[in-house]
Amino acid sequence: MSVIRQDVSLASIFWSELKSALLATLWMCLLAFPLMTLTINPTEKTFIFSLERMPYLAGGTFVLSILWRFFLKRRAFQGITKAVHQSGGLPEDLTKGPKPTWVTVVMGLRHKRLGFFLLLAFTIVLPFVSSPYTVNIMVTALIYVTLGLGLNVVVGVSGLLNLGYIAFYAIGAYTYALLNHYFGLSFWVCLPLGALTATLMGLLLGFPVIRLSGDYLAIVTLSFGEITRLVLNNLEVTRGPRGISYIKPASFFGIDLNAAPKEFLIKWLGVDPSMDINKIFTYFIILALVILTIVCVFRLENSRLGRAWLAMREDEIACQAMGINRTRAKLTAFALGSTWAGLAGVVFASHITFINPASFSFLGSILILSIVVLGGMGSIPGVILGAIVISALPEQLRFFSQYRMLLFGALMVLMMVFRPGGLIQSTRVVHIHKTKGNGQARLKALTGAPKPKTGGYS
Amino acid sequence: MTKMLLKLSGVRTAYGNIEALKGVDLYINEGEIIALLGANGAGKTTTLASITGLVPPKSGSITFDGVDIRGTRTEELVKKGLIMVPEGRRIFPGLTVMENLKMGAYVLSDPAGVKRDLEYVLNLFPILATRSKQSGGTLSGGEQQMLAISRSLMGRPRLLLLDEPSLGLAPIVIRDILETIRKINKENRTTILLVEQNANLALMLAHRAYIMTTGLITLSGTASEFLNDENVRKAYLGG
Repeated sequence: MSVIRQDVSLASIFWSELKSALLATLWMCLLAFPLMTLTINPTEKTFIFSLERMPYLAGGTFVLSILWRFFLKRRAFQGITKAVHQSGGLPEDLTKGPKPTWVTVVMGLRHKRLGFFLLLAFTIVLPFVSSPYTVNIMVTALIYVTLGLGLNVVVGVSGLLNLGYIAFYAIGAYTYALLNHYFGLSFWVCLPLGALTATLMGLLLGFPVIRLSGDYLAIVTLSFGEITRLVLNNLEVTRGPRGISYIKPASFFGIDLNAAPKEFLIKWLGVDPSMDINKIFTYFIILALVILTIVCVFRLENSRLGRAWLAMREDEIACQAMGINRTRAKLTAFALGSTWAGLAGVVFASHITFINPASFSFLGSILILSIVVLGGMGSIPGVILGAIVISALPEQLRFFSQYRMLLFGALMVLMMVFRPGGLIQSTRVVHIHKTKGNGQARLKALTGAPKPKTGGYS
Repeated sequence: MTKMLLKLSGVRTAYGNIEALKGVDLYINEGEIIALLGANGAGKTTTLASITGLVPPKSGSITFDGVDIRGTRTEELVKKGLIMVPEGRRIFPGLTVMENLKMGAYVLSDPAGVKRDLEYVLNLFPILATRSKQSGGTLSGGEQQMLAISRSLMGRPRLLLLDEPSLGLAPIVIRDILETIRKINKENRTTILLVEQNANLALMLAHRAYIMTTGLITLSGTASEFLNDENVRKAYLGG
């Protein structure tokens, strides 16, 4: 019965929004008052009030709050119009699939191959034309890509919330560090060994958690991560919190890359003279590993096992009713997900040459999880983008010095409100048939064969 | 010349200390539609869970096609052709209709046969063909039930266990679905065990029926016997 007059509602919306924004400003000012205005003068033991900062804070909060509310309202409004449009009785609209967005345009099928080769060329050329600092960041970013893709198998594809993923990374790193420290084994021997150890540990963790899912699984995996760190911290063999230093970087057929090859590269390719060529080599190792991971994860996702994982994520009871061995699906998801963490761990140890338990804190697990969530659960390009954003963003935000983590958090919140599916949402593989018309024609197109007259069973 | 496909004798199943089945006896011949009726909490769903191995029974025997299957894992039973449509449909909401159907054929490995089955189920429920690219969660309740039944058919059931297919659906949709169940039974000689609370509808479809009360089978007989029996009509069919 209620008929809302548009002009009245718009005005009232405006006032209510303004009021909320003012309230938010007041709240923020109160909250940030001690943080922003009070500093201590240690020599005279007095407080220094810098109240002149407050107007900036208030103004900034007010503007941001108004913007925030505007975008939220706009989003809600778009949602309403879309719903109205759809209830207009156009079922065909639903079958057309999602509307093209900037992401689908950028990732458009037509230029996919070209884009792929450009990207590959860019990543290959990059270390030769950039500074050692950039190469360092890129190695870290690519390690995170591997970790993100590995965790994506567990969380994104299989739907098992693993909050202790960093433990497998630590296991990979320590496998190399210890074998190198005590037995002098080389990087190339330890790379598969690290992966194997992590996989086995994944299996080991998998067995007790077969019956668990959701929150309970999250708690157990979280504890596993912490236990691993504490064990590494307290063992005599791992040298406790002192960690293991002087881990050898990966070797290139025993050739010292910083001797003759370096001079060659500087002379002919104009490489930065301050560059450590070993880092470039590590960069290429991790790049190759990332490509291998992408290929494997892609193949896995579209395999029989991948479908079992998807079914398990969607509904555990229905997945059993389909004849899927839930135990096996869960264990393989855990084990294979951990493999990538192990590989990344070995590369990390060889890259950074010093590891201690503090490098594998709970925050690391959360960071990798944010990569998967931010990038888009179950979406391979999404996770890659997420990893690069997460590892590069804190570096880019250095300009804001001590506020950078705060800003990072704010960006995450914005992300979750406005793009909850992640940067690049995962899309189901869609089989497109161009036929239009009646149901029979569609049916023919779908099954690719003439319609039988009687039942298809034999 | 009918052959017994499934036989339960003295099946007792418990959840912890609470005994849900107190010795269930029933049999199903090949090609039959059997209705398993009863009120809430009578043990109908538990009976299905015991057959499919989701909740292993404590004692008694279950034979399928002459082989003892008590304690066999669910996925092994699916391979043998004992397939359940779970209560509340339980389709995969995030997967497309087509993916849902293909997931039903998970245990099979002959692409040509799977394709033929796909044609068959899409003929059975043409609406699924027009919805094939939509994700399962966007379907209506009736369509979801059609998808759930189709999905289980993709696994080539010899015995199809249907748990409350009429749950929460409009009467006209229920009629459609029940008609299709009859059709599936006729065309493929698929044996069907239908668990229902809607006794009237189930008895119109079934050849024989069992009635459960508090973990025991209390009545059994042919569907027409039930429909004509004055006491049964009063107690279960609303007069």
